[in-house]
Amino acid sequence: MSILNIGTQALQANLVALQTAGNNIANVNTPGYSRQKAVLATVPGQYTGAGYIGKGVSVETIVREFSTFLTRQSALASSTQYGDTARADKLKQLEGIFPGGTSGLGASINDMLNSFSDVASSPTDLTARTVTLTRIDETASRMRAASQQLDDLQAGTTQELGQKVNTVNSLAQSIADVNGQIARVQGSGQPPNDLLDRRDQLIRDLNQYVQTTSIPATDGTVGIFLASSQALVLGTDVSPVSLVPDDFGDPRKNKLAINRNGVSIALDENALGGGEISGLLRFQNNDLNEGRNLLGRMTMAISTAMNDQHHLGLDLDGNFGGDLFTPTTFNAQNVRAPVAPAALNTGTASMSLSISDVSKFAASDYLVNFTVSGTALIAEAGTITRLSDGTVFNFPQTPPTAAPILATIDGLNFLEATNTAKAGDRFLIKPFSTSASDIRSEFSTPRALAVASPVAGTSSATNLGTLTLQSLLARSVPAPASVTLTFNGAGTYTRSDTGATTYNYVPGQAIEYDLANPGATGWSLVLQGAPKTGDTFVVQPNPYTTLNAGNATAMMNLRDQPMFDGAALTDGYAGLISQVGIRSQSASYAAQVSGSIANNLEKDRTSVSGVNLDEEAAKLIQYQQAYQASAKMIQIAQNIFDTLMQGLVR
Amino acid sequence: MSGTTFSRLGSANTYDNAIRNIQNRQSALSTQQEKLTAGKNIINASDDPTGAAQAERAMTRIERVKTDQRALEAQRNSITSAESTLGDVGDALQNFRQLVVSAGNGAYGAAERKTIAGQLSGLRDQIFSLSNRTDSNGLPLFSALGSALAPFVGPKTTAPDYTYNGLPGQPASSEVAIPFSMDGDSAFMLQFSRDGVYNVSLSSNPTNRQLTTTGVSVSSSALVTGATYSVAVTAVDTTTTPGTTVVSYDVTATPPGTTTSQIAPGFPSTQSADIAVVGMAGLSMNMQGNLQVGDTFTVTPSVSVFSVLDNAIRDIGGAANANAATQAVGQALTNIDTSMGRINAVRGQAGDLLNRADRISSNQDKRSIQLEADRSRAEDLDMVKGISDFQNQQTGYQAALQSYAQVQKLSLFNFIA
Repeated sequence: MSILNIGTQALQANLVALQTAGNNIANVNTPGYSRQKAVLATVPGQYTGAGYIGKGVSVETIVREFSTFLTRQSALASSTQYGDTARADKLKQLEGIFPGGTSGLGASINDMLNSFSDVASSPTDLTARTVTLTRIDETASRMRAASQQLDDLQAGTTQELGQKVNTVNSLAQSIADVNGQIARVQGSGQPPNDLLDRRDQLIRDLNQYVQTTSIPATDGTVGIFLASSQALVLGTDVSPVSLVPDDFGDPRKNKLAINRNGVSIALDENALGGGEISGLLRFQNNDLNEGRNLLGRMTMAISTAMNDQHHLGLDLDGNFGGDLFTPTTFNAQNVRAPVAPAALNTGTASMSLSISDVSKFAASDYLVNFTVSGTALIAEAGTITRLSDGTVFNFPQTPPTAAPILATIDGLNFLEATNTAKAGDRFLIKPFSTSASDIRSEFSTPRALAVASPVAGTSSATNLGTLTLQSLLARSVPAPASVTLTFNGAGTYTRSDTGATTYNYVPGQAIEYDLANPGATGWSLVLQGAPKTGDTFVVQPNPYTTLNAGNATAMMNLRDQPMFDGAALTDGYAGLISQVGIRSQSASYAAQVSGSIANNLEKDRTSVSGVNLDEEAAKLIQYQQAYQASAKMIQIAQNIFDTLMQGLVR
Repeated sequence: MSGTTFSRLGSANTYDNAIRNIQNRQSALSTQQEKLTAGKNIINASDDPTGAAQAERAMTRIERVKTDQRALEAQRNSITSAESTLGDVGDALQNFRQLVVSAGNGAYGAAERKTIAGQLSGLRDQIFSLSNRTDSNGLPLFSALGSALAPFVGPKTTAPDYTYNGLPGQPASSEVAIPFSMDGDSAFMLQFSRDGVYNVSLSSNPTNRQLTTTGVSVSSSALVTGATYSVAVTAVDTTTTPGTTVVSYDVTATPPGTTTSQIAPGFPSTQSADIAVVGMAGLSMNMQGNLQVGDTFTVTPSVSVFSVLDNAIRDIGGAANANAATQAVGQALTNIDTSMGRINAVRGQAGDLLNRADRISSNQDKRSIQLEADRSRAEDLDMVKGISDFQNQQTGYQAALQSYAQVQKLSLFNFIA
């Protein structure tokens, strides 16, 4: 009755095939599911004199359709996509902190400086002065608000990073568990398809957070490695990851560290590759830091420049101007020495900062590295690296700087305050990290707004030429004693403070009080027109300060002062938003590109592993027919048997 | 069985892709709609960082032009006030001059001249208060490079009788602004070397003979010292050379208080004297009429327009006789004309500044339009293109939805009975 056997076997085999197709249909939307296929094989035939007679069909195994290469490619590509998208999303938020147009911080700065125009038009009008004070306060609070928003973004990012690190650890544990289960069933001879699918899906999930490399072991387990070489999962062992501060304990920067046997190894975020964690780390450590530096630089440059200019003015009561904004101070937040577990400084030197020229600031942090030991500035040497672009400056500088200035770079004096540094000592200098959060307006009385110039110029009433005063700016206070310029015709003049020395007169060119250090002290005078021989011009301390608005004009002139990488002060904000905008734009592009690559690879992967419903429908029909035919076979076997029985009865 | 190829599609993935594409289209459509409703091509800086920076810079400049224009309006108002004030001063001076001319009427006696002096005094007060006028913000119109609230102070009992409490000189205009004030010193204060405005008064006022001087003029401005001169006739010799009169006189300059004696060239005794006085450094003046020993002329520099007016009022009001009146009127007219010259010169400068303000204003308007165009080009949406893009995207989105719905209906299961 082999036909009955064959029929039964076929019935069973096709039922399994139908079941497999049904399982495929059932799991069509299950993430990570690989379609399965029943592998049918003939049962070896029975040898007879008439040759091998087939003995039917059996199910050899159920395999999952699967391509290791495509699965890995897809996981890697999606990892990159997740990293780029996480960074692009955060950059969009960062961009939102710096809006352009009339509601932006830039408009607020411009309004503030423009408001000095009304004070210049009517220096005694307290209303105009009050408006200016309000604008100053408004600008300070805008800058503080932007800084607060950056802090909020920072806090959100750090929290998110913490959660994602926890997720990585639990996924790693799950992978280790599945590894164990797979190893246990390894001996059964049949592949544990669902466990394998589960592990692949876990690895894919893990890659969403951090890019990994998987290397299969002979026992069926898979090793998961971070940053190409650090084992996160080995067999059933997990080395958990955690977030650690960087070498300098900067609370605004983090690194991912892997902990194995009680040893924590910090991983460089650039080596992490894709994944949301590395995307967020890159955002936090680079993009957000740059945003903060740009805002901090703008705040520090504008507030310092305005304070300095305001100090040069006289208020309605004849006093010199005070601070408009909180004066810049540098503290431990701005200068950081390494903290454990990083190698600590062996020397006793401490560093600090001071401002040398606000117009030369670069929005960057700096790394000071001592390479030669010495005693405070003597024989010490090393490098200072501008971290935004990696430019390296050597110190000691030529010409030598005066103690305690170690070096002057980008308008900042790096001061070595005390004691000595040893070779290998490092300092992280973050000049602009605190200025925007600490800025406040220091001012509330309109009378004390110092808009009068302490110096005044006057032509002699007997002048015959066409000399007119273009501008006269104070450079230091109090104003120096009066200086008389006596012109010898149009071409030259002598000064009362330098005797008979003659100087060339060029209309429109500044005449500086301080000949040795032009612009440093005294005043700076610009005359127009052609003087005649004997004409004089006197620069003297201003006797009429109440009606004067020379310093208000000087404040307004700050608008055009080259300040941010050579751009005018008023254009600084435009530069800032475009710099942040470019970062955001390029991150979006990167996310789009990596997204489309990931989509393509996922499509390719599913073309192998995915369930196609039409295909399964066809298979249903195919196996159903085979099943029906097998059933028919059994019916025929029964008919044959019946026929036989009927013959016997007769 | 044939090997699987990439043309095979995973159903779930097909759905996912289709939905992702539809979502992308929807998001693009929504972005385009946001741009349309805002009228802007740049919503976030990342849409076009360069364009965003350009728009921001243009906006900054537009605000700057607005601020400059507002300041220019204030400046123009001040200078307009100064110009019209100088016009008023000119009119008042003209009236003053007419009254002075009328005071020279030979028929008038001392009483009439006193009346006229009273009228003159009123005009002088008017002119003086005009000179200290302030603009709408309370700043003196004639503050030059800086001054006290009332730049002109006087008359004082000690010389000089009027002072300018300010810093003489003219502020220069810039490309976007004109000065707030005019040089009051140049308008109202007189320089002896430049203007040579001197008042000559007679020590005695003879009623029975004619005795006057011409106005003082500058013959060499470099020599003028600003001293007060006293010219005293020491001898009138008609006997040494009969028929010829030789006048000797002493000229005393204070400071330094030196006296030089001069002998004028003789002239026919039949004529009245017309002697050019020498010995006043850089100045020339003629003594005219019937000179006698003891006649003394005091030549005092006038430091300001107001001094000229004060002298005229004093001398005309105090003229006891026609001769003194003639001398006073003569001096006053010469000096008033010089003063009007000063006022008009500064008024001309004010007019020039106002012209310049108009030019600046019109340039700034053009610049503003240009900047607005720059800003608009950088960030505003081209509406035609925007709407056209929007409709394209709408059509695309619709097609995506329809095709998705139709493709999803296709399934082999539909045909399995």
